[in-house]
Amino acid sequence: MDLPSALQTFRSFTDQVKIFSDDDWHRLASQFALYPAGRKVTITPAGEAERYLYFVVEGVQRVFYFDDENREATLVFTYAPSFGGVIDSMVLGGPSKYSYETLTPSLFLRAPYRQIEMLRKEMPALDEMMQTGVMSALSGILERLAEIQCFTSEEKFRSLMGRSPHLLNLVPHKYLANYLGIDPTNFSKLVNRIRF
Amino acid sequence: MPKKSNKNQVLSVGQLLQHIEDRVESHIQITIKQFQNLPEEILLRPSATGGWSIAQCLEHLNSYGDFYLPEIAKALQNKNHLPSSKIFRSGWFGAYFIKMMEPGNGKKMKAFKAHIPPPDLSGAHVVARFLAQQEEMLGYLRKAPTVDLEKVRIPISISKLIKLKLGDVFQFCAAHDARHIAQAQRNLI
Repeated sequence: MDLPSALQTFRSFTDQVKIFSDDDWHRLASQFALYPAGRKVTITPAGEAERYLYFVVEGVQRVFYFDDENREATLVFTYAPSFGGVIDSMVLGGPSKYSYETLTPSLFLRAPYRQIEMLRKEMPALDEMMQTGVMSALSGILERLAEIQCFTSEEKFRSLMGRSPHLLNLVPHKYLANYLGIDPTNFSKLVNRIRF
Repeated sequence: MPKKSNKNQVLSVGQLLQHIEDRVESHIQITIKQFQNLPEEILLRPSATGGWSIAQCLEHLNSYGDFYLPEIAKALQNKNHLPSSKIFRSGWFGAYFIKMMEPGNGKKMKAFKAHIPPPDLSGAHVVARFLAQQEEMLGYLRKAPTVDLEKVRIPISISKLIKLKLGDVFQFCAAHDARHIAQAQRNLI
């Protein structure tokens, strides 16, 4: 996909949240460049600050936690059309506690957050869109926290398949199992048992 | 895309690695879309002619991965052979083995004993292991430009006496994977 088509996808996405004037839109769009990456490429490593705002045009990615005891937690999947990257490090600054990596070949639009931050101060529509974006992300995370604490494995599986059934045909089961906090073998059994 | 040739191929290192990465990517996509979500009984069902099941085809490849991936990881640590050329020339043995492995060359081959998969497998576990190996391979292909793909050599799994150029090992693994993925796909027809 070329830059104009990717920006068109981006505009269709932002239109659902906030309608920008053509002038504002061109100022915003001019900050973004295409950024392709193959499968299993680290986009933002843990320990480094997130310096870019990403918009996912193609592919599936994950934000994940990994520690020195080899413990791993897939926190969130991102896929088109949505924002991507490690948002907390991007907005608050400081090193990211999490990594952002591609799980399939991916295409992003990305803009240096410093530029976006400057535009936010001058463009109320952009500020409003960013706030809505961050709040939607928070809302999704709270919903997931409730599921993790209350739901059975099967309920968590059904909920994920309700939201993102396409992931089964795009990424290895191990990432989906890790996201739900269940054993990969049990995950495969759920796939076999529950047809949807 | 590099052209197919019967003679030893001469490719730029970048072209070669991209070509192999594209093949690995396609193997991952086939495995996820066509095999990953199948029930155990289909993964473990012998072929119509009594041959290997899908799980056996992939486990056969896993047994090669178990040998070659640690060897490749070790080879990529080799600091004595930094890249010296922008092109890659297959060795005689390498070109021969790669050609022999490519699917559709019409030759039926018998697996070596150490690489014959048992029929009683966990299908889901085999698929997961294969995908993990392929992802590992992608990482090594991206590190490969840091070493000389002609000078760094790896022994083959069935004889320590024969060593292949690292660039040929990458091609051999991709061709061998393609062969048995095509075989596994025939079980779905």
